[in-house]
Amino acid sequence: MRAADRITAALLFVFAVAFAAGALRYYEYGGSGGPGPAFLPFWLGVAMALLALMMLVKALRNPDPGEAWLPRGEGLRHTLVVLGVTALFIALLKYVGMIIGTALFLAALVRYLGAHRWWVTLAIAVGAAGANWLVFVHWLRLPFPEAGIWIF
Amino acid sequence: MDFLAHLGMGFGIALTPFNLMMAVAGVMVGMLIGALPGVGPPSGVAMLLPLTFGMEPTSGIIMLAAMYAGTMYGGTITSVLINTPGESASVVTCLDGYQMALQGRAGPALGIAAIGSFIAGTIGVVLLMLVSPLLARWALSFGPPESFALMLLGLTTVTLLGGDDPLKGYISMVFGLMLAMVGFDIISGEARYGFGIPEMMDGVDFLPVAIGLFGLGEVLAGTEEKGGAQVKGKLRLREVLPSLADWAKSKWSIARGTVLGFAVGVLPGAGPTVASFLSYTVEKRVSKTPERFGKGAIEGVAAPESANNAAATAAMVPMLTLGIPGSATTAIMLGGLMMWGLRPGPMLFEKNPQFVWGLIASQYIANVMLLVASTALIPLFVRALRIPYSILMPLIILFCVTGAYSLKNNVWDVGQMLVFGVVGYFMKKLGYSPAALVLALVLGPLAERSLRQSLIISDAGIGIFFTRPISAVLMVLALAAIAVPLAKWGRSRLSSKA
Repeated sequence: MRAADRITAALLFVFAVAFAAGALRYYEYGGSGGPGPAFLPFWLGVAMALLALMMLVKALRNPDPGEAWLPRGEGLRHTLVVLGVTALFIALLKYVGMIIGTALFLAALVRYLGAHRWWVTLAIAVGAAGANWLVFVHWLRLPFPEAGIWIF
Repeated sequence: MDFLAHLGMGFGIALTPFNLMMAVAGVMVGMLIGALPGVGPPSGVAMLLPLTFGMEPTSGIIMLAAMYAGTMYGGTITSVLINTPGESASVVTCLDGYQMALQGRAGPALGIAAIGSFIAGTIGVVLLMLVSPLLARWALSFGPPESFALMLLGLTTVTLLGGDDPLKGYISMVFGLMLAMVGFDIISGEARYGFGIPEMMDGVDFLPVAIGLFGLGEVLAGTEEKGGAQVKGKLRLREVLPSLADWAKSKWSIARGTVLGFAVGVLPGAGPTVASFLSYTVEKRVSKTPERFGKGAIEGVAAPESANNAAATAAMVPMLTLGIPGSATTAIMLGGLMMWGLRPGPMLFEKNPQFVWGLIASQYIANVMLLVASTALIPLFVRALRIPYSILMPLIILFCVTGAYSLKNNVWDVGQMLVFGVVGYFMKKLGYSPAALVLALVLGPLAERSLRQSLIISDAGIGIFFTRPISAVLMVLALAAIAVPLAKWGRSRLSSKA
């Protein structure tokens, strides 16, 4: 975890300096009417930079590399697959629509994670997509994204 | 007495069929959410908040508050049965609860927790009802400096009590405040850090962030263990009822847990989790047989379970009266209040009495529901826990996506939720505090406004925070909360050099 702390601290430091500098460059720090829009962002940037430096010092001084925190092998693969399928679902939402998208997403993920029988997978996918539609579209009148392309 | 008239009006509102249904639904869903490892109270409230957008605010808060109470009990079920706390306020229950289960006494453990929760929750509402109007009246005299000092105190205590590493807690908090700076500035109207993207200029909404951090983030962290623990065995109603001997042993523990829980819960920043740990420690101290703790002492279940319910109720006090949430869950509820167009704070009691008193009355009803559900429906919940994670997890993700989308009906928010899901995963893995981040994001704009207003009043000197008595006390406390970990850090550095 020590390496992760070092990297996060360094990234946060750069971000904080850019945040504070950006505030001063683009917005007004203050004038006769009191503190302006740049006032708090600037000081938050300064505070974050200090905190990041403290963490960097702490991580550099700590000789203990700490235990591994990232999953490996199968665990990592699961996390990445779940994340990837979710990202794909969101990216395709505009094109396939919420209802079809939901059913496909659930079918893929339930099948991958559980290897349930196909009819169990199908029932969950169709059932949940339908229930989701019923609650949010039919009941709460929320406009879901509709399919932008029709295959047939 | 207008106090009784108010309460009568509250019951009139809470007992309408729709609101009653919302309270029942809230308790049931809350118990389920509390029981499922990986979804805690904040993620549950965040995911269900979109469902309330079409409702009256009163019905919405009734459902969310009932749910919060339900989660406190639901977390106990898994703590006792499989030694896996469903949420953080039930962590300490594992110590004795699981030991009791191993001795074949899972039923009485769950039963005493249900009774303790009911008593503590009900007394908690009574205290909420008595304390809140007084506090609200007192808070009416608060100006911008007092508001700012109070918010700072809330932020620092959440950070201090949130995790193992205060430094990472403060980083999470400041990061949340930085996110809150994005978007239109309330005073000058200028768009900050928008980069020309209209969605960015609108600011970072707390809801997609909260759903991402708590919902998706937790799910991602849970994927590493494919499968997860499973509940085995059955539990019948008869077995849930504790014996008279159990009751005699735990009645004072419940009383102590209730009082301690409420006192801790009222403080900004300290929620049910802190209350449950503290009350366990207290029970162990006052017990004549402390060696029984950790080996299945029923007091070790009764006290923390009472304390967390009392604290969950008490956490509503600062949220409603001061507009300062005491925990991640109440921070999300506060965000909900603002979305419904209500302004939390002392004026809420005067301007929206039907909202406040409807909520208070519904809390009494929710506690009764909780007692019924937690005894009569226990076998059902135990069965629900057998749904495999491989089915549950995709459904939770679906809920996160729909919830984030429903805020403004756009996919941008869903993308934002996904990004914060990844951020939440890393925060959890690396020991940062998502609660501090969300609280800072909700309070950020309010804190900035009161800070700048104070400085305008004082003509740019920070002395104004220390010359007014209430604000001075609050400021000193907040600065102490910052200084304590700093001092510790400095000392450990000195000693490591030597």
